[in-house]
Amino acid sequence: MATKKITIKIDGRETEVIKDSFLLGVLRDNGVAVPTLCHHKDLTPQGTCRLCVVEIEQNGKKKLVTSCNFPIRGEISVDTTSERVKKHRKTLAEMYLGRWPKVPIIQEIAAICGATDKDKYKSELTDENEKACILCGHCVHACEEFVMEKILDFAGRGIKRHMTMPFGEVDPHCIGCTSCAYVCPTGAIEIVDDMNGPHDAKLIRDYGMKINAEMATLDKSQCRMREVGTANIVDVMDAYDLLPVHNYKFGQHVDTPNIDSKMLKAKYVTQGLPDGCWKGCSMACAKTVDGFELKTGPYKGSKVTVDGPEYETAAAAANMGCFDGDFLMEYNFYCDTYGVDTISVGTCMAFVMECFENGLIDKEVTGGKELKFGATAEVLQCLHEMALGEGFGVDVGMGIRYLKGKWARELGADADFMQDIGMEVKGLEYSEYVCKESLAQQAGYTMAVKGPQHDEAWLIFMDMVNNQIPSFDDKAEALYYYPLWRTWFGLNGLCKLIWNDVVPATNKNFPPQQAAKVPEHVEDFFKFFEGMTGEPLDEEKMLDQSARVHNLQRVMSRMLGYGTRKDDMPPYRAVGPVTGEEYESRAEKLYDKQMKEIIGIDPTGKSTEEKMEITRKHRVEQYNKVVDAAYDRRGWTRNGVPKIERLKELGIDLPELVEIIKDDQE
Amino acid sequence: MITVNNRDRLEWREGMTVQDLLDEMGYDYVLITVTVNEILIPEEDYDSYELESGSNVVVFHLAHGG
Repeated sequence: MATKKITIKIDGRETEVIKDSFLLGVLRDNGVAVPTLCHHKDLTPQGTCRLCVVEIEQNGKKKLVTSCNFPIRGEISVDTTSERVKKHRKTLAEMYLGRWPKVPIIQEIAAICGATDKDKYKSELTDENEKACILCGHCVHACEEFVMEKILDFAGRGIKRHMTMPFGEVDPHCIGCTSCAYVCPTGAIEIVDDMNGPHDAKLIRDYGMKINAEMATLDKSQCRMREVGTANIVDVMDAYDLLPVHNYKFGQHVDTPNIDSKMLKAKYVTQGLPDGCWKGCSMACAKTVDGFELKTGPYKGSKVTVDGPEYETAAAAANMGCFDGDFLMEYNFYCDTYGVDTISVGTCMAFVMECFENGLIDKEVTGGKELKFGATAEVLQCLHEMALGEGFGVDVGMGIRYLKGKWARELGADADFMQDIGMEVKGLEYSEYVCKESLAQQAGYTMAVKGPQHDEAWLIFMDMVNNQIPSFDDKAEALYYYPLWRTWFGLNGLCKLIWNDVVPATNKNFPPQQAAKVPEHVEDFFKFFEGMTGEPLDEEKMLDQSARVHNLQRVMSRMLGYGTRKDDMPPYRAVGPVTGEEYESRAEKLYDKQMKEIIGIDPTGKSTEEKMEITRKHRVEQYNKVVDAAYDRRGWTRNGVPKIERLKELGIDLPELVEIIKDDQE
Repeated sequence: MITVNNRDRLEWREGMTVQDLLDEMGYDYVLITVTVNEILIPEEDYDSYELESGSNVVVFHLAHGG
């Protein structure tokens, strides 16, 4: 088996290292102090200050190398204290000291390297400023690597070399991310804060830059947000059988590569720079497609710029069975232009398509459109009608709940079947994740105050793949913490993407239950809060802040005639297989196995219909148990209404709120 | 036999590595943490760490998106 490890010698001691590691990091990990001026842990090593030189012996030959950018690829012997090394470092340190004698970091390096004569290299270039720029280049590289810009660079040659913006003028492309100041070792670059009067702007900046540094160093091997944005999730969901296909019947499709992130990158995306939605954020999750020529609608023939597509939009196309990149662009553009949500339209169209394929509606109802799965042209026709307020598109625009009622009433369509396959709760269409194999996610969707929306789809992996929340109590705890954590982002106007779409390298060291929360990033968010308000925050306070709002929202739902258990009930498609085709697609891998091992019934000899009935009974029972556990954990009655004592605990037992829920108490 | 995530069972064979297990389970997600009998396995060891029969392997997928 090929190994990724190599044994090297450091000052006579053998140690095992990972191949291709840079030598400086290995030396420091082994307790060897190495002076550097141009090295920064989050930036690509440059080797320009040359203070980190060490002497290596390889294949019998000795040479000096800069350790920061020397990748270990073979067996070497390293000497970090040879006379040659010491002399080299001392001479360099004397030269630095001669030029910038009062800069603290230079003085520190000089002391380490034994350079005491500050006049040895004194010249007309000597700069007595304590905060002088020492030309380390950190700011130039941070600009390029943290935020993918080139606002700063060196100009001039030799003794005239200096750091500047292009033509010495303030560049309007600067997004004010402050990365240059964050990495500056001398204070030559300072930030003047003039916005919003935060309690401690530096605290906010420093914690923000920590995440920007992670984006620069980790994103390319994690979620590739900079490269493809949230569309990376299309590939993941398809691989894990979780991508909604044909109205959530299936979880993957052979044609997914037509709309996955690789295809979007190769064929469509033309821009991916930070768009400034959050000043200083370098995640650059927004992607843009330029010069796309529209084939339908009022702008037919025009070349337009499409903003997106994000995961949910691409997954909505899969849900409609429309695995066509050009369709996806056109659908994305017109949904945005008309101001309709790509998720709700996609999920509603998928419902319409299944009804059409099952003969519940026909071309007479759809205005002549053959609305089968994959009918790209017909979907776009519906979308245009919806915007124009004419034809069948008007009905589609009213949503699944409306269509179920209308077709049962006016066409006598099978109401039970439509209830099973109509993917909406509280009138809101489901977002684009298949949740039927994850009990916690089923409840996560249905119990979300505003309906089954994409903000609350974090429990699928935890539950279905990791099996890390196996008991009802575990699931209830997850259904307490995560929705409140999500609420907290909204309360503070903070974006959640930097929470778990890039994670610190150290997150792998936490046990799963803690790792799922990305503890280091939770702490970063608490620091943002503290930096803004001056008040320190911890998990308990955060949860209480959110719980007050969450319970208030639930009481308001009750006031509006919702907010009880019946409003938290999912369509069966979200819980298990509705049709024989669906059951059989996962019979061997999942459903038959679960029947035997979990329900305790041998599926042998049973018809698909019998097996589906057994599975359904079991799954609905399980769903109700998880809802009971979650209500208990939240301090709600078994009918899903906040208990008055819970409002008291949270300090929101106002008479007008108590009045709304007093008759619902157990 | 090997247990994965306290639920799935996988046939053990001589010389089977963590990477072999991930391949067989179809676990190609990027934000994965692996423990074998509660010991954390560094990523660089996936293709050399050999599993023993009866090992309890936890493959933790950190959710993103959503």
